[in-house]
Amino acid sequence: MGVSISLVVLIVVGFIAYQYVWGPPTIKQRVVVYAYNDRITGIDPSIEDDTGLVIIGLVYEQLLRYNPITGELEPVLAVAWNSSKNGTEWVFRLREGVVFHDGTPLNATAVKLSIERARDVYVETGRGAGYIWEALEDIEVLDEYTVKIVLKYPQRLDLLVAATYAAYIFSPKALSSSGASSYLDRKLEEWFNRGNDAGTGPYTIEYYKPDSEVRLKKFDRWWGWSLINNTQAPDYVIIKILPDPQSQYNGLISGEIDIASSVPRDYVSILLSRGFKAYNLTTYHNYLMFFNTRRYPTNITEFRKAIACALDLDEAVRLAMKGFALKGSGIVPHGFPGFTDGLYHQCGLSEALQYLSESGVQTPVRIEILYQVDYEETRIFAEVLQSRLRDLNIELILNPQPWSQLKEIAKGVWENPENTPHLIVADWWPTMPSPYDFLYVMFHSDSKEWNFAGYDNDEFEDLLDRAWELEGINYSEALSLYRRAQEIIFNDVAGINLWDEVRPFMYSARVELPPKCMNPLYMYVIYFQYVSVRI
Amino acid sequence: MPLSLNYLVKRFIWIFLVVVGVVIFSYVAIIASPGDPAVKWAGNPRGPNASLAIELARRELGLDKPLHIQVLKFVSDVFTGNIGLSIAYKIPVFEVILRRLVATLELLFVTYLIAIPLGVFLGIESALHRGGKLDTLLQSLGTVLANTPTFWVGAWLFLSLILLGAYPYGRVDPKLATATGFHPITGFYLIDSLIEGNILVFANVLSKIVPPAIAIAIYPVGVLVRLTRALVSDTLLEDYIRASVAWGVRRSVIIWRYTLKAITPGLVQVIGLAFAYSLVDAMAVEYVVFGREGLGSLLVDSLNYSDFRIAIGLVIVVAVFYLLVNTLTDIIQALIDPKVRL
Repeated sequence: MGVSISLVVLIVVGFIAYQYVWGPPTIKQRVVVYAYNDRITGIDPSIEDDTGLVIIGLVYEQLLRYNPITGELEPVLAVAWNSSKNGTEWVFRLREGVVFHDGTPLNATAVKLSIERARDVYVETGRGAGYIWEALEDIEVLDEYTVKIVLKYPQRLDLLVAATYAAYIFSPKALSSSGASSYLDRKLEEWFNRGNDAGTGPYTIEYYKPDSEVRLKKFDRWWGWSLINNTQAPDYVIIKILPDPQSQYNGLISGEIDIASSVPRDYVSILLSRGFKAYNLTTYHNYLMFFNTRRYPTNITEFRKAIACALDLDEAVRLAMKGFALKGSGIVPHGFPGFTDGLYHQCGLSEALQYLSESGVQTPVRIEILYQVDYEETRIFAEVLQSRLRDLNIELILNPQPWSQLKEIAKGVWENPENTPHLIVADWWPTMPSPYDFLYVMFHSDSKEWNFAGYDNDEFEDLLDRAWELEGINYSEALSLYRRAQEIIFNDVAGINLWDEVRPFMYSARVELPPKCMNPLYMYVIYFQYVSVRI
Repeated sequence: MPLSLNYLVKRFIWIFLVVVGVVIFSYVAIIASPGDPAVKWAGNPRGPNASLAIELARRELGLDKPLHIQVLKFVSDVFTGNIGLSIAYKIPVFEVILRRLVATLELLFVTYLIAIPLGVFLGIESALHRGGKLDTLLQSLGTVLANTPTFWVGAWLFLSLILLGAYPYGRVDPKLATATGFHPITGFYLIDSLIEGNILVFANVLSKIVPPAIAIAIYPVGVLVRLTRALVSDTLLEDYIRASVAWGVRRSVIIWRYTLKAITPGLVQVIGLAFAYSLVDAMAVEYVVFGREGLGSLLVDSLNYSDFRIAIGLVIVVAVFYLLVNTLTDIIQALIDPKVRL
């Protein structure tokens, strides 16, 4: 027995010593490991409108891509585009020589199929982000590489084809590969979600386990390699699903992970001191606090103003986000079209008390705040607010919930406002580069799934609808209407944009992340074709 | 024959009934709790057709039917192996659970490869030095190990190894696995790497599995030290052991053959229970500390995502695991202990 134990121990120690003393062998391929903080909810390019973007953004491409710095559109699968004077007819000229991962060439038919599928899945089932194609009247294939899109009313279609979701082009061959009878057949969606892909992007899916790991392989026939000339781009991209920030930190310092999307914010300085680098992305991801406008006492505007005045956003950013955020202004985030500076409540405790007195609400009064349990920043924010409101003799009850429970409780504001908390904290990132995305979804009375304030204001909605219709004709005028719409929400205090997140992507010295590799509109996508990896 | 067909039939009927009970209880508990799986299944829809998407999703999941119909349907789906797709990941539930289960089991197997020989060896040494300093030391050690939180040991071990320059993170170095073309076959990475003849990956997997296995092993080691000591001490007083000593049988034969054989049934019973208990320890340690995929993180996620299919699937797996381990323990005991008949 003693000999057997000694033998086993010797073998184990031998292997471990081999691993650690002689170290791993030299790896000839460029492999990069990116820790992503959420599970992949699907990778159907027409339907997925959640976390699957982190994969879809590398495997598929849109016609155009939005440049957040210039606000201009950049060519991707389309090389030229123009619209009719009234903004209802758009013609896109496609890039020639592009091939899908299945070897078939990109053509106008694929574009028509992809857009129509995204729209029709939404119309038939309500799933996905196909509502962005609401104005679509017809798509005509003019020739192999030219497509004409006709709209029911004027739209900035160039912005829509660059949308975050529902704008990706896939190969028509996917239908036969999946055995689907039509593009609405569920078999096609299941085929995609099993880890098959049919995109044109620089990477193709090699291994797909949406709960733990996705491995992408460089697609050598990607049209862009010769243009960007990055010889140090990774051959393989491994996306590790690690929702726990501590686990991402452990992975980073262990050397197993090269890029971490979500380490504890307190650890950023420690990592910097250990030689890691940070890519601070100013995102379009913002956190909003909705007021339940259908329940006493938050149905009283002066009471809401009292809370807004008691709230110190600078303090909230400092304590909850450890400084990794920009103080919210209006509803639309910094850098996004329609952003309005200076639209935050600059008042203090004395004005808060004044508003409270005007509201007629007798104190002490008890109200409740609902927030997501696994977001540490919202917990800290709620505790800071609780402390602030104590000065107004308002007792704030904390109600942390997992996201799915939070959403179900929050949307109850329409049916059952008396049982819905007075304050609700939720986050949002856009689907398309239009303020309409933020304002319609979160404050329009038709959007009962996401309007957690129960806000219903005809003037606001009229302004919003006019702005949306104007986008295709007079964009600057449309943006000005969006700003006015945000002023209405500001004055009504239906919701407050607390902060726009600045996300530190921490990475090791063996990789280089150039500015172009990230884009706040396509949240969490790292365009690895621009990334350099040392062997 | 110590094992009767009657026992096996009864035991499997019992397992069947427990599983049915677990499914019914879990389904009702999870469906009644806050959170709407239909919203997640529909993909958190937005836009004007969002309510249509949720309505269709509710119909697809059968959540529009009365609760008793839902329960009956789900029980039937479980026993026909057709639980369907995960609500959160849109891939088959069975595939996700199996992959995670295999990862956790691999960790547990290595844990017990460490714990059993070590615990038994120290227990025997303790018994052989009854009343001495070594006995006191080992008994104290056993008590401390059996009562130390595994999570704390895991975190401490991880940080210590990091300071020493070793990185026991994850199941395998993804860069190494990718570069060497490692493709898991069974999901047990140690076995897969040996099958593929990939010695580099084998060494890497081994170096990553041993630290968490040590952390989880402290509880069974502590239990086994104390139990083995007690069993060996009693056995050494038996007449046949005294007779063997009188006949001049070698000490090593008396201890490692006669005594060990005599205490094995008692050990098996406790190892079975400890193994089942270690499943919980593994779930607590594997992901948060060592970044290993396994059942623990999957259970937490499934509840956060209202993925009732995965959650119930996991509850079933854990229940069946406990029942099978207990049944297997009884069977092994019956086979090795002539006094036990089933």
